[in-house]
This record gives sequence, structure tokens and C-alpha cells, in this order.
Amino acid sequence: MEEKDISQKSLALMRKFVAKYIEKSGTALHPVDDVSEGVILGLAHNHQTLGKPLCPCRYYPDKEEEVQHRTWICACDDMQIYKYCHCLLFVTEDGLPITEYLPDDHEGREIYGLVRDPSPDKGRPLRHKAAEREEERRNRPS
Amino acid sequence: MADPIHTTDTDFQEDVIGAEKPVLVDFWAEWCGPCRMIAPSLKDIAAEYGDTLTVAKMDIDSNPTIPGRYGIRSIPTLMLFKGGEVVERIVGAQPKDAIMAKVLPHLN
Repeated sequence: MEEKDISQKSLALMRKFVAKYIEKSGTALHPVDDVSEGVILGLAHNHQTLGKPLCPCRYYPDKEEEVQHRTWICACDDMQIYKYCHCLLFVTEDGLPITEYLPDDHEGREIYGLVRDPSPDKGRPLRHKAAEREEERRNRPS
Repeated sequence: MADPIHTTDTDFQEDVIGAEKPVLVDFWAEWCGPCRMIAPSLKDIAAEYGDTLTVAKMDIDSNPTIPGRYGIRSIPTLMLFKGGEVVERIVGAQPKDAIMAKVLPHLN
């Protein structure tokens, strides 16, 4: 599917969701427009074709099966628990993903080092589920 | 001056595994923001190091077999193949210098 085939309805829905989530989580859009625009198009594409805004920055052996899980549906578990967006959609003003709350062995820490949360009073509604997430990461790497 | 090549599930064996030069494979997708971010760096690397390195791009949405075989999860993931073996794996949107710091030791 090409960009022109993405429905305006899905695109509008995703733009609205992203704007709201940025406000709610105390994050910012990536300063490079092409980065955030690409991800929003990908979310709209997946919303249109799969019925859910599955993260477009991952490989899934079976997308239909993956949407049965909550893990990588935007805002994904990593975002809701650790405030980490590997897709670089919800980031700091400098365009870096927040890594402060990630476990030390998480790939985000290895890639970006320690990036502090500029708005620690916002976001992370599922922070209490970190133990469950880590168990899932071990048992169902996806 | 070389450009990145585009490889597929079908051509991977010939383009990458059987290649004489090391091949840096970029597993990417059209609507992945960080993949877009590193694309210019990979184009530069292909141009600068074309004598000793091939840069190959694989769209994971059109080519599901090879990414599954190599355990790709988050993208972009870069994998450096030398003599058909994976010798380096670089995950995430890393700057050109960081990419080359991992790649250069493997080039002749």
C-alpha cells in the first residue's frame, strides 16, 4: 500500500491520537518532521489494514497474530510502562527517546544511554506492570 | 560511487551470503521513522566505502523470510555479513560514526 492509499479517516484519527498522547505523556514530536510523519503514516496504515495501530518500527512474523496481544499496539507497553518509544515518535525536545526507566539490559539503554524524563509527573500509566513486561520479554520476545 | 543495493528474500543468498565483499544489511520498513533517519548515513557509507563494503537494504514488509531467520525485532537493525556470517549487529537509529566504529574493524 502506498501513502496515497491510506485513508484520510485513519490518518486523521492517528494525528488526533498522537497530539493527545504527547500532551498526556509530557513528550514531544521528533524535531525531524519526516521521522514523526513516517511513523504516523505507518500507524494509520496498520490501523486501516489490521484494525489496530500496530507499531510500524518492528518486524512481526505474523501481524494478524501480533494484534491479538497489546504489547506493540501504540501507545505500546514499553511507552506506557517505561515511557520509551523506540520508534522515536514520543521523545524529548531534542529528539531522544526517554530511557531513564528502562531496565539496564534493555536495548534502548545500549543505543541511547541514559536519557532523563523531562516531565516525570506525566505518563507511565502502566508503570506497575514492569515485572509482567519483563517476563513477557523473556517468554515471548517480539 | 556506489549506492545501496536492494535485496530480497530471493536474492539474499547471492547478494549477501555469497558476496565477496562484506555486506552491511539494513533491515527497514517504509513507515519506520528511525529507518528514515539513518537512510542518508547509509547512502553516504555506500558511497564512501564502496570499494570494500556493500550496503544492502531489505524491506521487511515485502520480505518476511530472511528477517525472521535472523531474529530481527525492532528496526532499523543493521547486520554486517562477512564470508556469509553475521559479524556485527547494530540496532536503532545510530549516527554514522557509531555505525562505522563497529563496521571498520571488519573491513580489509
